[in-house]
Amino acid sequence: MEAVKNAFDFADMPKSELTIAGLGMAFLLLFPVLPHSSFAMATMIQFLMFSLYGMGWNLIGGYGGQVDLGKAQYVGIGAYTTAVMMIRWDVPFWISTPIGLALAVGWSFIIGYPLFRLKGHYFAIATIATSLVLKDLFEVWDFVGGARGLELPLKGDFPNWLYLQFREDYYYFYILLGLFVLGLLVVNGFRHSRLGYQLRAIKDNEDVAKSLGIDAHWSKIKAYALATAYVAVVGSFHACYNFNIEPEDIMSLDLSVLIAMMAMLGGAGSMWGPIIGASILVPMKSYLGDWLGGQAGLAGLDLLLYGGIIMFIAAAQPRGVYGIVEAVRARRRK
Amino acid sequence: MALLAVNQVSKHFGGLVANHEVSFDLYEGDVLGLIGPNGAGKTTLFNCIAGFYPLTHGSVTFGGKDITNLKDFQIARLGLARTFQIFQASGDLTVAENVMVGSFMRTRSRSLARKSAEGCLDFLGIADTGGAMMTELPVAAQKRVALATALASDPKLMLLDEVGAGLNPSEIEGLIEILKRIHSERSISLLLTEHVLEMVMAMSHRVIVLESGKKIAEGEPAEVVKDPEVVKAYLGDHFVKRREEDGDA
Repeated sequence: MEAVKNAFDFADMPKSELTIAGLGMAFLLLFPVLPHSSFAMATMIQFLMFSLYGMGWNLIGGYGGQVDLGKAQYVGIGAYTTAVMMIRWDVPFWISTPIGLALAVGWSFIIGYPLFRLKGHYFAIATIATSLVLKDLFEVWDFVGGARGLELPLKGDFPNWLYLQFREDYYYFYILLGLFVLGLLVVNGFRHSRLGYQLRAIKDNEDVAKSLGIDAHWSKIKAYALATAYVAVVGSFHACYNFNIEPEDIMSLDLSVLIAMMAMLGGAGSMWGPIIGASILVPMKSYLGDWLGGQAGLAGLDLLLYGGIIMFIAAAQPRGVYGIVEAVRARRRK
Repeated sequence: MALLAVNQVSKHFGGLVANHEVSFDLYEGDVLGLIGPNGAGKTTLFNCIAGFYPLTHGSVTFGGKDITNLKDFQIARLGLARTFQIFQASGDLTVAENVMVGSFMRTRSRSLARKSAEGCLDFLGIADTGGAMMTELPVAAQKRVALATALASDPKLMLLDEVGAGLNPSEIEGLIEILKRIHSERSISLLLTEHVLEMVMAMSHRVIVLESGKKIAEGEPAEVVKDPEVVKAYLGDHFVKRREEDGDA
């Protein structure tokens, strides 16, 4: 199978990057064994979740150049499917998650088809609107708990693998790490796939892409659906990990923007971008937010700081942190 | 049977008539030149043929199939490749990967696409640029990459829009050689526009002249340049008058 071979093909990556990636991987594998606070563990779990969100976003937002600010609606579909099925029918995580994924991907086709008739800013604004409409619908829908959201019942029998309920956080950590590795391999396969090449051609010149037989509209929809699969699965995980979901939390514009920011800050359209972005933004968000929140009158200052960073990146280095790495490498080659 | 038949094609933009009832046939193996002064409607006609613009009137058939209402990418898949005056390649991909995007029209496999792309770069004499980024290449090499990309999609007919623009005379000579090889060795028919006449005249079997959106002449290159209508279109009224006066004297 060439698709599998492509997923494991890292030959086009510079040695230095693979070395750093290997060291990072070793650190992640060992992290739960190293001495750490529970706050650090919670931050690491957030880091893995946002890396995955960002990897998904990057497929359409980075490789495809379509700025999508509505990913939270699919996080919500994944999370709510898992929560509702568990609460009402005792369905385990491993069964409800694929169903949530299928529902989210199905919904992404319905949303994507008209949305990808739009371009640039119009597309971005429309993604925000669709996501917010779905959030509003969930807030008035009693079946899913309305605006108060849902509380997941404790099933006992720890460690409970069926419903993903654990006393210790390292279980969650390793499950996420598995998803993280799988997610990375899928991205690597994607960028070596026909769709991956076609999408990058569409990003810079849609007319040239069309002249090469590419159905740009359909290619974007496919990449959008793949991106959706990532965030829906993490959404399902989030429901189990958090035990509590509500529309304001997991379907908000804040989350959509944060997902996009991971890849934009780290480097949209590069494989490591979302991970770099998450490794900067997530610790900053939790430590700074925690510290500032404790200081009277300073709460909210962290938001101002992200805003500043994003504006700086947009103006100085649109290709993000990874763009700086590439620029340095290009200069050294000359 | 004609490979490409353009029947009474008109294209209006609001009140502006960009093409008016243009008809011509292109047969397999043809090299057909489409000339005319700036603003004559050459690029618009290309866009109409390749499905980038919907026609106002008329029809186009390709390989016997009516393609008038097909979408641009569907027409491309039938084997009608077009190039653009300004070829902006993907900045995220290397030269070879950009050419691969063309190959991917015919295969799903990355290894086959790579092999075909390398073959096309080699055919155009720029095999050594495969690893570079597009922006690192000089204009003449960029034009060849554009040709390689179109070639990689394995077309029957190539519509070349001003491929010679921005090149110096020696580069144009090299380009003519390349196009002749594409035509003879890959048996691809060519339809080329150019407002620099030199190249079209050197290559075309037949030439069509457009002026203000209308076809005003068709024939062999040597015949067409003598046509008073054509001279008028290119050089203006008084030139023709003066020549007539000179002839009378």
